[in-house]
Amino acid sequence: MRRYVALVALVAMSVGFAGAAAAADPELPLVLEKNRWQPDVIKVKAGAPFVLVITNKDKGPEEFDMATPRIEKVIPAGKTVRLKMPALKPGKYPFVGEYHSETAKATIVAE
Amino acid sequence: MGATFIVTLREAFEAALILGIIYSYLEKVGARDGVRYLTRGGILGLLASVGMGIGVSYVSGPLLDVGPDLIAIVVIFAAVGLLTWHAWWMQQHARLIRGHMQHRIDQARAANRLWVVGLIAFTAVFREGAETVLFLWGIMAQAGGGGWGSVVGGVAGIGCAAALGWAIFRGGRRLSLQHFFSVTTVFIMLLAAGLFSSGIARLQGMGLLPLSEPLWNTSWLLSDGSITGGFLSGLVGYRSQPNLPEVCAYIAYVVIVGVLLFARRAPVTVGLVSPTRS
Repeated sequence: MRRYVALVALVAMSVGFAGAAAAADPELPLVLEKNRWQPDVIKVKAGAPFVLVITNKDKGPEEFDMATPRIEKVIPAGKTVRLKMPALKPGKYPFVGEYHSETAKATIVAE
Repeated sequence: MGATFIVTLREAFEAALILGIIYSYLEKVGARDGVRYLTRGGILGLLASVGMGIGVSYVSGPLLDVGPDLIAIVVIFAAVGLLTWHAWWMQQHARLIRGHMQHRIDQARAANRLWVVGLIAFTAVFREGAETVLFLWGIMAQAGGGGWGSVVGGVAGIGCAAALGWAIFRGGRRLSLQHFFSVTTVFIMLLAAGLFSSGIARLQGMGLLPLSEPLWNTSWLLSDGSITGGFLSGLVGYRSQPNLPEVCAYIAYVVIVGVLLFARRAPVTVGLVSPTRS
């Protein structure tokens, strides 16, 4: 019984910890307007996860599309999506808006 | 117009290919009941795609943040499982056919499992379907000033993919059974391996599996964004910068499923295709 209680406490603690960690992840805004990302260069700290808060101000949906690591996320028209990003090693990570890949190009720079 | 044509052609191509192969397979083994299941599954997949495309525009908050990702992951791994199952099923048939037992396929038993064929059609269409619906919607929303060419291109891309699927169906009928089975089994296996490795990559992107550095970079030769690269990615899981877990997943799948499918064994009496001795 005591072991069980300890286990529950441990699980509760780790859930709480994970929640706190998630809450502490820095949030970076990213806006899609007229089929272009703003800003088109986003600097992040290498080795730390972060959250992209993506707002689509256009009339149609768009898909955030990164090849490496592979991340795809649809942002419906007029909506805001919170996209949890994994910790990145130092480097440049280009991404596009898949539905308008000619104009919607940007890069995340992890340093 | 050309750009949207390529996008929808690429998205719909895989589904058309899978449906084309399975339609001709069902016809070859004389399981005509299956055709109905397959068509229904495909139509349901189409409806679900439209529903999902519309649905994501009405949800927000955490449901929108993680919901579509979870659905995508489930569909990818379900498709891998179903395709593997189908390849195995075909391989069992091929064994029986080699032993001139073609006509002994137990139809009644087959009918019990035909709903799986419907599920395959569903996942094949739904997997890229929702995205294609959103894409078409996106270009239509901005079609006001002369953008209709893009819409026409998008619809033409889907039509062209369907025509390719049809061509495969017609071509498949001409192939000898033996060739048809070996070619399509290998093909489905590679397609599922690529899908499996892309599922692993998606899990990495969601932070559920650790990320690692790309093992190599062949984007100078063939980039993921190019037309050929895009098609090869759908067909055999080509990636210009794969990382270790992706490569391991691909190899492990091919080795394990390859052995399962092609290891020499006596024709086994498994479920669906057990020969009835008279």
